[in-house]
Amino acid sequence: MIRKFIYIVCIFFLVWACRKSDQGGSAPVPYTLQLPDYFPATVYDMSQNPLTREGIALGRRLFYDPRLSRDSTVSCGFCHQQFAAFSHYDHPLSHGVGNNTGTRTVPGLFNLIYQKDFMWDGGVNNLEIQPLTPLTDPNEMGEDLQNVINKIQSNAQYRGMYKAAFGTTEVTTQRTFRALAQFMATMNSFESKYDSIMRKVQGVAFTTEEASGYATFQAKCASCHKEPLFTDGSFRSNGLPYNPALNDVGRMRITNSTGDYLKFKVPSLRNILRSQPYMHDGRFYDIFRVFEHYNKGVEAGANPDPLVKSGIPLSAKEQRELYFFFMTLTDMNFINNKEISEILIED
Amino acid sequence: MTQPVNRYCLIMLLLLIWGPGCQKDEETTRSTITVSIQHKVNQAPLALANTSYTNALGQPFTVTAFKYYLSNFTFTRADGSRVRINGQYYFVDEAVPESKKLTIANVPFGDYTGMSFTIGVDSIRNVSGAQTGALDPLSGMFWSWNSGYIMAKFEGTSKVSTAADTSLVFHVGGFKGEYNSLQTVALNTGSFKVPDNTHIALTADVATWFNTPNPISFITINKVHTPGIDGYKFSQNYSNMFTSVAVSE
Ligand code: HEC
Ligand code: HEC
Repeated sequence: MIRKFIYIVCIFFLVWACRKSDQGGSAPVPYTLQLPDYFPATVYDMSQNPLTREGIALGRRLFYDPRLSRDSTVSCGFCHQQFAAFSHYDHPLSHGVGNNTGTRTVPGLFNLIYQKDFMWDGGVNNLEIQPLTPLTDPNEMGEDLQNVINKIQSNAQYRGMYKAAFGTTEVTTQRTFRALAQFMATMNSFESKYDSIMRKVQGVAFTTEEASGYATFQAKCASCHKEPLFTDGSFRSNGLPYNPALNDVGRMRITNSTGDYLKFKVPSLRNILRSQPYMHDGRFYDIFRVFEHYNKGVEAGANPDPLVKSGIPLSAKEQRELYFFFMTLTDMNFINNKEISEILIED
Repeated sequence: MTQPVNRYCLIMLLLLIWGPGCQKDEETTRSTITVSIQHKVNQAPLALANTSYTNALGQPFTVTAFKYYLSNFTFTRADGSRVRINGQYYFVDEAVPESKKLTIANVPFGDYTGMSFTIGVDSIRNVSGAQTGALDPLSGMFWSWNSGYIMAKFEGTSKVSTAADTSLVFHVGGFKGEYNSLQTVALNTGSFKVPDNTHIALTADVATWFNTPNPISFITINKVHTPGIDGYKFSQNYSNMFTSVAVSE
């Protein structure tokens, strides 16, 4: 016993002798995400930015703080609303400072750690870099990055939170973006009725209509809107006619390749009935307009993917059943999750 | 029975005594090298703002901003082997005099004959999320809409530019595919010895941006702000901008 004790003490001292000497204050508390086992491996490299309670809390405050915008009116949460699965409910095009309108609709935010590319055209290659665009885009938050950093640095509450999360009160771009990424990494949606069925929760089953809708979905939609994330993360054209007023060529702007003309990232269909209007430019207010598009609206000149080239016939019955199936993709636990809900910031 | 345990504890105690030695040894066989860069245009020193220069086609221009990244410094030993100094990135900005003096730490002692480096930021750092230090997006050298560093930036004016404000804006970047703008520069420094000689003086000539192999006419091009063939052409040109002038103590 005593020897064992000495042995442990020796190890303790050894560890102590080799510890980093610049530690001070208490370390942040690690946070472990609970993720479903039928999801694929995550993409975002959390080993470089380990999640902690303090980091997430800081990210949440940053996410909901309108002072990060030029005129203190627009926060991330202003455009990304929880009740709409973090899309902007009822807004076809995004709406930022000074009533400026962007050229695309606000996508929902969830399961971002599974995503490789961000934005409708995939122009952003890392979740940590994503905040740079909205913060500085004149149509979104319209602020200069240095001003953002200065504003945060001048706030005592923030200084305390940076210290708690990262060890010192210093505010840097990297810490700010990493805190936001930590918060966004906790926005995961996997508790819809569909998920209960995938998890074989007892007593939960599709209704007849939902089941037929699921079958139609699997036959006609799932090759692009791939389960269980309901996107395969690829860039494709689903044959939407080009809109000259917006002149958005999609992925082609990023790759300079004409083969990518009018291609956009396949969006997830989780929580889809919560996040109208639809498509990159919010052109369809109603999900049945989307069904009609696949049924009859695919335009040959819009570089359509081979899978939709000749349209996807959907009878009225199939459309109705798809609608019922989509209802099973709404995740009320996510939409009501208090840990990611808006916080009021007064100091 | 007790023997092995005792032995363990002895080893542990030895480690314990040796423990404080876990702190990194002072490195005595490596030295810091400083590289100082002087910017010029043709023969004249670069002056920002109003000074007028001419390109190879005889078109006048001024320079209002001149900035770039350097990374992956590698030194060639007399025996031909190479020593690569990883993880150090430098942001050089004509408007910030200190930025033109680079400190390269941890160069092993030895005899050297040359050096090479990359103009730009290697692809891995373009895809690894929020960076810090020289790579902080605060420097304004990052494209937010199409993630990636602007490797080098020239801004100025030319009265032959067809832009409404006669501006010239050449932002060069792109780290993948056919038009990857990363350029490696190899310079013959003449032989030098570390730690006896630890100061390398370079010049960088802005005029090379517009000369060879792709002569640039400001009438036909006044703006580059995306990755692609135009930026790539500039990068080919400016890969010739550096000259090693002297190595000294
Ligand atoms: C003015 C409205 C607006 C604000 C404010 C805003 N966003 Fe967005 N967000 C958008 C739009 C629009 C897109 C899609 C842009 C595109 O594809 O071009 C988007 C895309 C995203 C994406 C990528 C989602 C995906 O699936 O590709 C993330 C992540 C994101 N925003 C996070 C944030 C964060 C973090 C903030 C605050 C720093 C923020 N947003 C502020 C409108 C906004
Ligand atoms: C070829 C691949 C492909 C197939 C097959 C496909 N989609 Fe899509 N879907 C896309 C792409 C790409 C978009 C985004 C298009 C855009 O915004 O320009 C999209 C968008 C959507 C949207 C709007 C999502 C949002 O957040 O705005 C819905 C809803 C949708 N699809 C439903 C379906 C249904 C239902 C089917 C089967 C009948 C289907 N899709 C088949 C590729 C596909």
